[in-house]
Amino acid sequence: MRGALWVCERDIRKFLRQPFVMVSALVGPFLTLILLGYAFGGSITHVPVAVVSYSEGRYSSAYLDIVKQEQNCAFGGASCGDAFRLRDFPDLESAERMLREGQVKAIIYIPSGFDSTLISSNSVVFTIYLDNTDPLSASAVYGGLSRAAQQLSAQIQLLSGRGESLTVDQANFYRNVLYIEFMAPGSLVQAIFIASIIGGGVSILIDKQRGIFEGYLVTPLKQYEIVVGVLLAGVVKALFSSMTMLFMAIIIAGVRPMTDATGFLLMLFTIFLAGLGLISMMTAFAVRVPAPEVYQFTAFPINMVLYFTSGAIYPIDGFPDWMRSIAVVNPEAYAVHALRLLMYKGASLTAVLGDFAFLAVFTSVMVGLATVAFRRRL
Amino acid sequence: MDAAVQSVDLTKRFGDFAAVNKINLEIGSGEIFGLLGPNGAGKTTLVRVLTTVLEPTEGTAKVVGYDIRRNANKVRESIGVVSQAITLDVELSAWENMELYAKYYGVPNGLRHERIKALLDVVGLAERADFTVGSFSGGMKRRLELVRSLIHRPKILFLDEPTTGLDPQARYAVWDYLRKIHKDQGITVVITTHYLDEAEALCGRVAIVDFGKLVALGAPLDLKRKVMGGDVVEAEISIMSDEALTALQDSDFVLEVKKRESLLTVLVKSGAEAVPRIVELVGAKGGKLRSITLREPTLDDVFLNVTGRSIREDTAVTRKRFVSTWGAMRR
Repeated sequence: MRGALWVCERDIRKFLRQPFVMVSALVGPFLTLILLGYAFGGSITHVPVAVVSYSEGRYSSAYLDIVKQEQNCAFGGASCGDAFRLRDFPDLESAERMLREGQVKAIIYIPSGFDSTLISSNSVVFTIYLDNTDPLSASAVYGGLSRAAQQLSAQIQLLSGRGESLTVDQANFYRNVLYIEFMAPGSLVQAIFIASIIGGGVSILIDKQRGIFEGYLVTPLKQYEIVVGVLLAGVVKALFSSMTMLFMAIIIAGVRPMTDATGFLLMLFTIFLAGLGLISMMTAFAVRVPAPEVYQFTAFPINMVLYFTSGAIYPIDGFPDWMRSIAVVNPEAYAVHALRLLMYKGASLTAVLGDFAFLAVFTSVMVGLATVAFRRRL
Repeated sequence: MDAAVQSVDLTKRFGDFAAVNKINLEIGSGEIFGLLGPNGAGKTTLVRVLTTVLEPTEGTAKVVGYDIRRNANKVRESIGVVSQAITLDVELSAWENMELYAKYYGVPNGLRHERIKALLDVVGLAERADFTVGSFSGGMKRRLELVRSLIHRPKILFLDEPTTGLDPQARYAVWDYLRKIHKDQGITVVITTHYLDEAEALCGRVAIVDFGKLVALGAPLDLKRKVMGGDVVEAEISIMSDEALTALQDSDFVLEVKKRESLLTVLVKSGAEAVPRIVELVGAKGGKLRSITLREPTLDDVFLNVTGRSIREDTAVTRKRFVSTWGAMRR
């Protein structure tokens, strides 16, 4: 039995020589704790909601005031914020367009007879339109607007002693989107990133370590030819990887995208843009790291930060401010946003133009960076 | 005749360390030129600078008439390189490896097929063309690299230790192919090696490199004659006294004596006369020899002479007295 002690001693001795290996391996789980904890632990605030009001009555404005003051708190009240950010629209049509483009998450529609009906009848039902392609935001919005309605009823009862009740009815704008479907675009983007970790500049890194790379350097291939070639191969791999993911999501996970041919082409373009950008970013990094281990230990944490702050698993509106500011510059957030619009809302090019613009800028900068970072000589 | 390679004060430093230190070298067209030196002497760095993989710190060189700093891509188009590490894609077949490099070098579509076939034929790999390179032996890989570097008909072929790690049979095969290619194509070959026999067997001229400097240059035979100026007697010792050693050193027919463990190496003016006299002298001073042989000096002796170390020793052991006397003798 004493032999077990010596075996244990050997392992512990070796562990003590390089404890940082375990510490760096802990970066992943720790990031998961922080990012996932804050993402899911936050409450959804500042949700953009469109208001289309044809009523100028007392009660309708009272209702909107209550909605405006609605607060959402998280972390035991440590972090609170306005639940909604209201934007007025003159008619339902323009509000609907904003909802389709993902600019607002819901529409509060107050018809012209709102006040008079509320006074004359005992019970009033009014409708809010919800963007249910984001099920978490939709249920939070519905909860908040219902609470506001109850509060208004209570106020009216107090003032008049009568028993009117105001109920909110929800009208779903799209077919019910399951949470797993909500998550699917994030997985497509993560598939791109995985391809960019193992498919882009890392081939240069591995070739360098194996010494194969010197073979390239003595050929008359130009600097940009080598870089662009590696990036293009990476993009092909990223397209393959995300299409495989999409296929599996549809066949196995039961994801049902509602996309026409144009939408699918726009999806491919989104993946191409995001893929090229992310691959260039990782290539710029890979061609300058001193050792493959450094790349390996860094690539996966980068993947986690980008994925968890992209809004792939939880709406960005629910993030604390520091995470939201990462999301603003996170290319994956724009890719996820565009893919979600294209997959479940049948969105047109105009709806995703903003996302494309950001991705195009990001990708151009990263391709440039990768080309400059790459060294033509050893 | 134009020089294939011409370097002027070529220097490559890594920090404070000069791996290549002010090398002035001229290699003629059509030569098989050897860069000989121990591990770490700077041979590989020199080849990397000449083949545009590394940028020189100071000085420059012209390769096939093009400046390696200003016209790197012209140089790359005109040379073939077999680097020290295997640079083949082991996942791909021999043919695919050839084909890709043909494309990199812009070999026209029409010529590609024929040229690959002919080259694979030269090194006896035509039948293995469609096998993945991962299944090849070390010698086969080297042969494939050798012809891959010729796909664009380069004017100079650079080989960095092409036979390191190969068994003797595979080495001789590589030598044969190299000689054949040199003869058939009239190509200039620059080869680095730390194998003395390789340099002697292949090279018309040899440059001996040590600590980044050129320490000797010439045809192997000339180097041995000029630098050594005598024969080498090697004896295996059973008993050897210090007295005997001193007596040998003081003899007028002896140029220098070196003792390494049980091996005694004596450089003498004339071997035939020296052998009996050494046996006699050692015997008279109480020593005893197990065997004694007379041999021609080798390039290792030359290296030893000019650097004070053997090329075969990995650790640099300086033998002060040895160097000083032989150094004096050379003058």
